[in-house]
Amino acid sequence: MKCDLCNNNEATIYLIKIQDSTVKRINICEECAKKYSFLGDEDFHNDFTDILYEFFGEGSRPVSKRIKKIWGNLSYRRNQKCPYCGIDLKTIKKTGLVGCSNCYRELGDVLLPLIKNIQGTLENKSKIPVNTTEKIRAEVSIRNLRHKLQNEILVENFEEAARIRDKIKILENNINGRSE
Amino acid sequence: MGAVSKKFNILDNNAGGDGSADKNKIVLRTRVSLARNFTDKKFVSTSSNEEKRSLLEEVKKHIENAKNFKDFKFYRIKELKKLQRDLLFRDYMIDTEISGKMQGSGLFARNGLNGAGITAIIVNNEDHINIQSVCPGLNIYKAYDEVAKIEKYYEKKFNFAFDKDLGYLTASPFNLGTALRVTAIAHLPVLSLSSGISDLLKRMGKIGCQIKGYFIDSPEAAGNLFEIFNQYTLGKDEKEILDITNLICLNIAEEEKSARDQLKKKDLLGIKDNVCRSFGLLKYAKILSYEESVELLSIMKIGKDLDIIEGVNDFDFFRLMDKISNSRIIVDMEIGGKIDSDYIDSIRAGIIRKEIMKEAG
Repeated sequence: MKCDLCNNNEATIYLIKIQDSTVKRINICEECAKKYSFLGDEDFHNDFTDILYEFFGEGSRPVSKRIKKIWGNLSYRRNQKCPYCGIDLKTIKKTGLVGCSNCYRELGDVLLPLIKNIQGTLENKSKIPVNTTEKIRAEVSIRNLRHKLQNEILVENFEEAARIRDKIKILENNINGRSE
Repeated sequence: MGAVSKKFNILDNNAGGDGSADKNKIVLRTRVSLARNFTDKKFVSTSSNEEKRSLLEEVKKHIENAKNFKDFKFYRIKELKKLQRDLLFRDYMIDTEISGKMQGSGLFARNGLNGAGITAIIVNNEDHINIQSVCPGLNIYKAYDEVAKIEKYYEKKFNFAFDKDLGYLTASPFNLGTALRVTAIAHLPVLSLSSGISDLLKRMGKIGCQIKGYFIDSPEAAGNLFEIFNQYTLGKDEKEILDITNLICLNIAEEEKSARDQLKKKDLLGIKDNVCRSFGLLKYAKILSYEESVELLSIMKIGKDLDIIEGVNDFDFFRLMDKISNSRIIVDMEIGGKIDSDYIDSIRAGIIRKEIMKEAG
């Protein structure tokens, strides 16, 4: 079976993606797996040759080689458009810039793996703007509490874990109550 | 995985020390920038000129109404001369890709556009606003404070585009999350000679920092100037990014310092010879190209840092580099008409003599 990403090499790695209730199977070759950092963040982000390349290659601002390389590797099946600003994936790939804040959601299938590749994670830890909606605030709190919960379970502090679990439940109910 | 998963701990390396004077000799400038976009508005790449202009007016209105921003001067990018734009490009305030589409792009600069060391708000460049501050020496926290104050003000006036997983939404996915970029410009003449630099690169990659030559078109770092900056903006909070970059800079400054000390012990005569030859050239040359000047000044700076040369003023390498750049000379001297490169080179030689020689020749 050919690789779904490059359509060239023989696929040796199979990813099963479950999103909501749909199940998708992606077949990829080893080369693409490395390219898209499916082989683990450590392997990818410690790539010393990349850094050397950056360093000794002709540096040109504002688009460095690393940035060019990552964009160059962006592939997609259909040139989707963002329904809000009208930008398409081809233009995003060319300019390296998205067209509006909705692009990340609308074109997430293609952009999220790219972001994961660039940033090594999809989990924001920045501060939260003062004018954020209560909903986002609650979602961020839930996420942070989930982390805490995991840690408490790891150290077998089950009492604290139960307390955190209850807190999460309350927050989740609040969000759901609001949106209904 | 073995070697890969071994964590590099910068704290083990006794980075801080007491060399605060040394760190500012080695790290010449710190730049911190924050990007923000407003919700419900298209990003700059897709918005119309009309939309850009109205956004600019809105941002402008809020600055003009604020007491704290009285010392900010406003410039419309398209009304600036090409050379001034070149200078801004060099200082990262605008980028060439976009300077072709300057409609609705604006800049607020504290105390105007003269020289390095400023705080500025750039409107409609890559993102709706980019707040940036440059401080002399290694001053990451101070530069961040400057930027954060302005961000805080705007945070109350506008809704910033934000997502719980991706953080502050920026036009480029490279800035998502905190949208915070910390850059230090370091002078590493001895470290870049030794094999220490490749080891350094390796470790920096592991802890999420990058290093590259300062000058755009030079493959080997001209003037031994390097930029050190945080590679990731997502997945870490603001403080972590500031702390890590700061520690790395301290660490690098420390390593450069010890490499210098070693070299001084090993080959004092060699360095002295090198420094004095450069001194001679700078003192007597009548025509100096920018590239040559930067190389010679880099050597002069080591001589001064190591205290092995007399008759030279303590000079701010970074400021002087700005002052002797082609664009700056043409702007400052108001040179018009056809530009003769020998003439510029001779002015440059004169500026350098005046600035660094105790008895100007």
